[in-house]
Amino acid sequence: MNIDTVKERAGPREFSPADELPREYREAATRMIEFHANSEIMGAYLERPFIRQAPSIDRKLAFSAKVQDEIGHGQLLYRAAESLGVKTREEMLDDLANGDGKFLNCFHYPMESWVETPMIAFFVDGAAMRRQATLRRTSWEPYAHAMDKVCFEEGFHVKHGEDILRELMSGSKKEQQMTQEAFEEWWPRIIQFFGPTDDKSTHHDFAASVGLKQQSNDDLRNAFLDQYIPKARKYGLEIPDEPRIRERDDGTYAVEEDDLNWDEFFTIAKNEFEPGLGQINGRKTAQEAVDWVRETIERDASAAGGHAPQAAD
Amino acid sequence: MIWEVFRQEKTGGYHTHCGNVHAPDREMAKQFAAVQHGRRKPTNSLWVVPREEVGEIDGEDVVFGGTTDKSYRWATTYNTTGADAREVAESEDEQATAEKQRGDD
Repeated sequence: MNIDTVKERAGPREFSPADELPREYREAATRMIEFHANSEIMGAYLERPFIRQAPSIDRKLAFSAKVQDEIGHGQLLYRAAESLGVKTREEMLDDLANGDGKFLNCFHYPMESWVETPMIAFFVDGAAMRRQATLRRTSWEPYAHAMDKVCFEEGFHVKHGEDILRELMSGSKKEQQMTQEAFEEWWPRIIQFFGPTDDKSTHHDFAASVGLKQQSNDDLRNAFLDQYIPKARKYGLEIPDEPRIRERDDGTYAVEEDDLNWDEFFTIAKNEFEPGLGQINGRKTAQEAVDWVRETIERDASAAGGHAPQAAD
Repeated sequence: MIWEVFRQEKTGGYHTHCGNVHAPDREMAKQFAAVQHGRRKPTNSLWVVPREEVGEIDGEDVVFGGTTDKSYRWATTYNTTGADAREVAESEDEQATAEKQRGDD
């Protein structure tokens, strides 16, 4: 199939591993899905410490279930990505460890306090879900199938995150104040979740023309603001003055993009942001620390499976 | 020799247990199964399996799942305020359906 045919046929779940697709398509899809997979893994590592720091047994169970889900989403997505034949799962995981793998801006920032957890579990997951819902119509069928399962599970994450926010914002004055401060710190990063504006987006046009991407950064960001600004206000959070947010006559919102720190965003995008490097190296250390588990499993599997050459062969 | 019989009603459906037959070998078991279990009821395919090949484990041997409260895993557990985003509501609906089908919590 050449690229023109791909563009002509590009509809929801149109292409599967049975199709012969041009390198350009397969590379664009790999870049997109690998980024998504890496983000699931890095998000899980960011949230993992809060299993231990959870304030109650219910929160501990739910947080542990959520982190487990996110690692599972990473696995589903690496499967969808490797089915394109551009990179193996091992190459993607190695790239993530050595700092070449790219992932979501929000997961480059450290998270230290429990009051920060709804910033990820409600707002970032809510933003992710908005985007993921559109990707159930992506043209790469294995990616769309992965999104079915991810979206099925993700509703729990968002609702649980919202429940934490509700609890904190109906707690003590001190809790409310700390949550507000965390919100002010995270709010600009959350808005940047959707990437640069359409005119500055490097990959959008091609990805959209071959049906990989279903909605532009600007549309997604505006849809997110329309849904989540009223939610934030409902729980008593004050929207920070910066970045400036414009309310249109019809009650929808738009953000003043120049108020956001795009230098920091693009430093992060190159994996050159210092705190982000800490996250990358932290995960690398964890990966190396459990090497012995993988080795043991693989050794046992080859002994039991009989794939290793036998003496009689 | 006793053979357990499994019937599938439609292509792509599950083979479910529907009874057994007494037969000296596999060929006879298939014929008896067709006569005794394949007639009248909708049948697309039958399996016959020697009874001694069937392994069984029951509630006296082991505690099965489904008794542990895992409600924390479901979106439906959490009380939040205001209308949810469309995709969040969809996910919650899918979970509510699955929860009902599983019949556990």
